[in-house]
Amino acid sequence: MSGGNWAGPLHDALAGREVIVVCGTGGVGKTTVSAALALAAARGGRRVLVMTIDPARRLASSLGIDGAFNEATAIDISALPGQHGPLPDGAALHAMMLDAKSTWDGVVHRFAANEESRDRILGNHYYQRAAGSLAGSQEYMAMEKLLEVVRSGRYDLVVLDTPPTRNALDFLEAPERMMAILQDSIIKWIAPSSGRFSATRAGALLFGRGQQAMFSMFERFIGEDVLRGISEFISSFSGLLDGMRSRAAEVMALLRGERTAFVLVASPSRIALSEALFFHDRLDGSGIDVAALVVNRSLSAEPSPVGEVPETAWEAGFTPSDGSGRDALVDSLWDRYLARAAQCHIDDRSISELHRHCGKELPLVRIPQLDGEVHDLRALAQVAELLTRS
Amino acid sequence: MRPRSSQQPTSPPLFERRVVFVVGKGGVGKSSVSAALALQAAARGLRVCIAEMNGSESIAALMGCPPVGYLATRVAEGIEVISITPEAATEEYLVRALRFRKLYNLVFRNRYIEPFMNGILGLSDLTSVGKIMDLEWQREDGTYGPDSSGPARYDLVIVDCPSTGHGLALLGAPKTMMDVTGAGPLYSNAAMIQQLLSDRTRTAVLLVTLAEEMPVTETLESVATIRDQLDIDLAGVVMNAVPPALAAPADIVAWWSDIQDEAQSLGGHAAAAAAHGERVVRRRDEASAYIDRIRRQTQLPVLELPRLEDPQFGLDGLGELGVRLGRWQT
Repeated sequence: MSGGNWAGPLHDALAGREVIVVCGTGGVGKTTVSAALALAAARGGRRVLVMTIDPARRLASSLGIDGAFNEATAIDISALPGQHGPLPDGAALHAMMLDAKSTWDGVVHRFAANEESRDRILGNHYYQRAAGSLAGSQEYMAMEKLLEVVRSGRYDLVVLDTPPTRNALDFLEAPERMMAILQDSIIKWIAPSSGRFSATRAGALLFGRGQQAMFSMFERFIGEDVLRGISEFISSFSGLLDGMRSRAAEVMALLRGERTAFVLVASPSRIALSEALFFHDRLDGSGIDVAALVVNRSLSAEPSPVGEVPETAWEAGFTPSDGSGRDALVDSLWDRYLARAAQCHIDDRSISELHRHCGKELPLVRIPQLDGEVHDLRALAQVAELLTRS
Repeated sequence: MRPRSSQQPTSPPLFERRVVFVVGKGGVGKSSVSAALALQAAARGLRVCIAEMNGSESIAALMGCPPVGYLATRVAEGIEVISITPEAATEEYLVRALRFRKLYNLVFRNRYIEPFMNGILGLSDLTSVGKIMDLEWQREDGTYGPDSSGPARYDLVIVDCPSTGHGLALLGAPKTMMDVTGAGPLYSNAAMIQQLLSDRTRTAVLLVTLAEEMPVTETLESVATIRDQLDIDLAGVVMNAVPPALAAPADIVAWWSDIQDEAQSLGGHAAAAAAHGERVVRRRDEASAYIDRIRRQTQLPVLELPRLEDPQFGLDGLGELGVRLGRWQT
């Protein structure tokens, strides 16, 4: 399989992989990096899908996925800057915006035992709320969808943009936790003989025998209808759980295997870098191999003239006028330039520190702060160039 | 529901309300704005409580204090801080409501029940915003409750909300609970909290954002959600960390191209500085365009606050921001 037109430090790390998971804390530009990596790989002749969660509105609309959830949309990449000549055969870029609720619905539609059970789940009042809000469901659904598209064989590479989490492992562990809760709750909430909610039995199992008085107080407080509704929601999932579990196990194996690479994205602020460091260690500690590090919006990635920055504009050669507004403007310009140079120095030092910590052999790419924000394909193409330059 | 029309009472200025929810996307500076607001309120002689709802304890850090936890703690003259976590608020509420700690322990420390109560019913969101009502209810003499009439313990409760999505879920929690339960003890409680939220003489939302694409889009969406779905008064939008202008526009017009020409002929650092200056000017123009967009599309009062660079980022800098907030909302 071709490696895409990767060049530079990312080439060895990413060539030949079938899944790239882009992770990092919130606000560092994961979505931009994901889309740009996908674009670079597509230009190299691969069929690529980028799956994203909660992209900026304008980026979503320029990718053509604004408002359409869970559907792959083809993107025309033939006439972007940096594309010289025709694209290689087979090159294609698709994008998809993930939505937890739609994926839940899809799973219910595809895997429910029969129509009756499907309609029972979809019609449950609490299902409507739980699909978006039960802890871990967003992460779980990203995995369901990832497995679906990988199995489809329609793509050579899938780039997955992960939901922002504070904890690096949330993304991997949340699905397991969510299923454990559903599984245990089915046993605890429901009378197995009838498959229906029995308040007395649930009370005994949930609180232990001898605590019935407590349960009836709880029932009065929450309301019997609410309890029954929730228990019906839980029981309706009993037929789906085995399948959910085996698919989750399959995804885990895929993510930890050779076919997958994790790319860690950071930005050079002090807080973001220390979070990235923590992220790296957690992934590393759980046997996930971080294949590359991308530092976004890095001042030290911008070209700058050699030599120390002169203290004043006048030392740099500007000619003072007669103390007019022009001199004040030149001074102000120089102040800003000095502040930027100082920031650049800090930026460079902290990125090197992170790199040293993660191991110098880990490929590192710095992307400079671009003029303007990245919310169209042209800007994305620019990021793709920066990611893959040697 | 009350009609939204000109018959609505006019809203009082921010510093005359009892509860202000500070809402915005992650990383836009909600905690800084909350702290600045508190410093200004305290400077006016108000007794303030800042309730931090995201567990980060960043308010305490900004005020130069160790973490405060779930206990209102004095951090400066006239200012107390409390960090409200869903767990602590739920525990306090349920122990009080159910009257038995044992029942709370059985029910809500139960891993089979807790996820559904919090995930599906949004119970912990309700109890968190319920704690805000609780703070508003507290009186100086230690009495408490809607019927207590003595002077309040806090003149102003400032709520540093979690980032947008969860922040709006908190504000919507009472309505959600009312929809889901329909009747019963949880319903009545939610209705009482909703009454405080809907009372524009007592409660307001202050939105905080940056002059950038994503935060601005999210702010416009929040305004729509608050207006369409939540019955809470919007006091205005703070545009935080607006990049400073390089110089007065007239000076730039007068000298810019001349300076650029000189820089080009000098090359090296002079040229790089000029290129950087171009970028500064362009970013400032973009920021102004975003600020205009917020003004035009929300018709709300808008305040620009400057970016605080590292060395100024302390109580003095926050106090300065507070003074601007004070001048804005009087």
